[in-house]
Amino acid sequence: MKTEYIVEMTHITKTFPGVRALDDVSFNLKSGEVLALLGENGAGKSTLMKVLSGVYTRDGGEITAFGNKVEKMTPKRAKELGIAIIHQELNLCSHLSVAENIFLGQEIVKGGVVQRKQMNDEARAILKRLSLEIEPETLVGSLSVSKQQMIEIAKALLHKARVLIMDEPTSALTAKEINELFRIIRQLRDEGCGIVYISHRLEELQHIVDRVTIMRDGQYITSMDFKDTTLDTIISYMVGRDIKEKFPRIQMPVGETIFEVRNLNAGRMVRDVSFKARAGEIVGIAGLMGAGRTETTRAIFGADPKESGEILVDGKTVKIHGPHDAIRAGVVLAPEDRKKDGLCTKLSVRDNIALPNLDLLAPGALGVVRSLKEAQMVEAATKDFQIKMPNAEVDAASLSGGNQQKVVVSKWLARNSRVVIFDEPTRGIDVAAKVEIYNIMNRLKKEGIAVIFVSSEMPEILGMSDRIIVMCDGRITGEMDIREATQEKIMHYATQFENKLAQ
Amino acid sequence: MNQTKKKNPLKRLLSMRGMGQVVTVTIGLIVLLVAFALINPNFWSPTNRTNLLRQIAPILIIGIAQSYVLITGNIDLSIGSVVGMSTMVAATLMSKGIMSPIPALLVTLLCCLLVGVLNGLLVAKFKLPPFIATLGTMTVARGIAQLVNGNYNTDSIMKFYPEAAQTFKNVFYYGKTLGLYNGIWIAIILWIVFNFLLSKTRTGRYIYATGSNIDAARLSGVNVVSTTVIAYVVSAFCSFVVGIITCATVGQGTMDAGNSYEMYAVAASVIGGVSTLGGQGILLGTVVGAAIWGTLQNGLQFAGAPVAIRNIIIGIIVVLSVLMDVVIRTGRRNTKGSD
Repeated sequence: MKTEYIVEMTHITKTFPGVRALDDVSFNLKSGEVLALLGENGAGKSTLMKVLSGVYTRDGGEITAFGNKVEKMTPKRAKELGIAIIHQELNLCSHLSVAENIFLGQEIVKGGVVQRKQMNDEARAILKRLSLEIEPETLVGSLSVSKQQMIEIAKALLHKARVLIMDEPTSALTAKEINELFRIIRQLRDEGCGIVYISHRLEELQHIVDRVTIMRDGQYITSMDFKDTTLDTIISYMVGRDIKEKFPRIQMPVGETIFEVRNLNAGRMVRDVSFKARAGEIVGIAGLMGAGRTETTRAIFGADPKESGEILVDGKTVKIHGPHDAIRAGVVLAPEDRKKDGLCTKLSVRDNIALPNLDLLAPGALGVVRSLKEAQMVEAATKDFQIKMPNAEVDAASLSGGNQQKVVVSKWLARNSRVVIFDEPTRGIDVAAKVEIYNIMNRLKKEGIAVIFVSSEMPEILGMSDRIIVMCDGRITGEMDIREATQEKIMHYATQFENKLAQ
Repeated sequence: MNQTKKKNPLKRLLSMRGMGQVVTVTIGLIVLLVAFALINPNFWSPTNRTNLLRQIAPILIIGIAQSYVLITGNIDLSIGSVVGMSTMVAATLMSKGIMSPIPALLVTLLCCLLVGVLNGLLVAKFKLPPFIATLGTMTVARGIAQLVNGNYNTDSIMKFYPEAAQTFKNVFYYGKTLGLYNGIWIAIILWIVFNFLLSKTRTGRYIYATGSNIDAARLSGVNVVSTTVIAYVVSAFCSFVVGIITCATVGQGTMDAGNSYEMYAVAASVIGGVSTLGGQGILLGTVVGAAIWGTLQNGLQFAGAPVAIRNIIIGIIVVLSVLMDVVIRTGRRNTKGSD
């Protein structure tokens, strides 16, 4: 039996400055199927779906929808064709009613007056079709997340959507709600919709998915019927790259435990996290996006409040209520988002390097900055890290990404820190700068400083770490020595979601 | 890096952060002065030069106040009302014979600083939008100014303490030191102190860092709450001083004292290159900004423009300065955003 494809994408390419996000990708979707689009972070799944829904314009390739070639895909055109995306973050106005949300942007208007009753009636009909017991007059804000998601689906159905793209739809749902969602997905499938289901929760796929398409590093890898494959096969396709890059790994005898986190809890994303870091080793923290790694580093550093847990530096418990406590205890963080959390971009490089060290540079009650000492510190830091800039008085914003990152790191190393936490230190910087960051990490390792290193780049984690901790859903789900680490193993642990649908 | 050391002092001054704008507005100031002197030669008479300085002095002080708060990325709308409250509380205490000048000043200072602390906490700790928070305290402070003397201007402060009050008036306004009126000296001294605090100390650096990027500042170990509170307290202190100068000048408390001063303070700061977006600007600019404001007021008066016209012209100049600031800085940020 040959089924017609309702969507066909062939040879799609999309380039962003410096990155080839999609490289000759093909994709297709049949009517009446649920297709899981799988891949690691940055594999290109979302980019591909944004190309399909017209959010991004493709650089090359062809899109055929319902038998017609679509030359220029725009969000408006996608809507007309019946292609709808339901994002992970819902886009609803919480203070408006269900019906008002469903009809938002295309209210039924007669003579300039909104026809509330007619809208309510039509909304009720759609909700009924989905067997949802929600009154159209209810305020969306008073509904649970899962119900709000259903409203998004209802909204898509109002536009006669025949292709529904769902991005991580179950992450915020309970088991019962997931079952409800799956029921609706099945119903829509049986009515002839094609559904693209993006999720990292591999264990859920068996309940809903007919076919899988796997992407990796912006390329199409394979497609297969779900019943003919296993999760292990899927994982091996997701991560099965050859690691060609060379990493400047150095070998060091491992020393004593410098840093320890015991039973740290901070909200849903940091649950009972415990780990150690020893002198002479780099501890990599791997995991998928939203695994709680950044939240963990922020909680350790005191940037976000902790609920419970203990932090020890050199065997002694330290109390960290805010970043200044952490800094004083010798625990420092080079945060993930440089421009948002790392740098004062309107200030000079000198100001930025001096900022966390003003307790040393400007001692005493009055705190007059010793400019000679400051100049020495800045000069030492810029020389040490080879920060490229005309002089230290230029705006931090004017530096390249790699040099900005070096400023963020160098400001911490001007003082005697014991533990340095890097959160995605090489994101968005060029290859040469990456190597320089790796060398800095190695230098710290040699100096006996505990290095903790969060990264979503599998090769980097495998190339630099001595020990790898894997997180998923706010918990540590695996830990391994580098000698026994493989991409498959990391991915296996990284997808150990709490199985909400365990039978 | 080594180049900066070899530069001569003038060059180093010119290469200081924020100097570009200061040089530009200084040229503007000179043009204004020359223009007004040409329109009416009496404008540049020795008497009017002194008058001009005496007019600029209080504006400079509240300009310093607003600059501190603007650099932390916030705004203080309560400045004018705190000036009014300061005048009325001090004048009421003295004119009713409740307190002699020195204790009266201390009580007044306390009231003003409380408003500053409250502003700082509302904004930094309770995360109220600074515009709303200080709009509230502005109304409260003005209410207190009206309330203290039962909704009337006070009697003369000379009534109960003729000698002490005369000394008070001399110290804060009418007396001269080294040939310069004390009112002007006070502005100069405050400028030196607060410029030092802002440019040379840890606290100053924290103020800039908080305004530039509050998240990064916090993650660098800066206590952004206390830094913001300090900025608002400096602002309240400066407003207190201007209130006292006003009281000394008039010799009684008037309920409309300090009206619209918060806007004059924004004008002085922004014309002088302090960014309403936070993190940028120097107090040298505020001096020039205050001077431009004072020159416009005084010069337009000399040129025969009625108050209404003066208000309109100054209002337009303020809006244009802020507009230029926002357009230039956000424009610059957008072009850099792509790297």
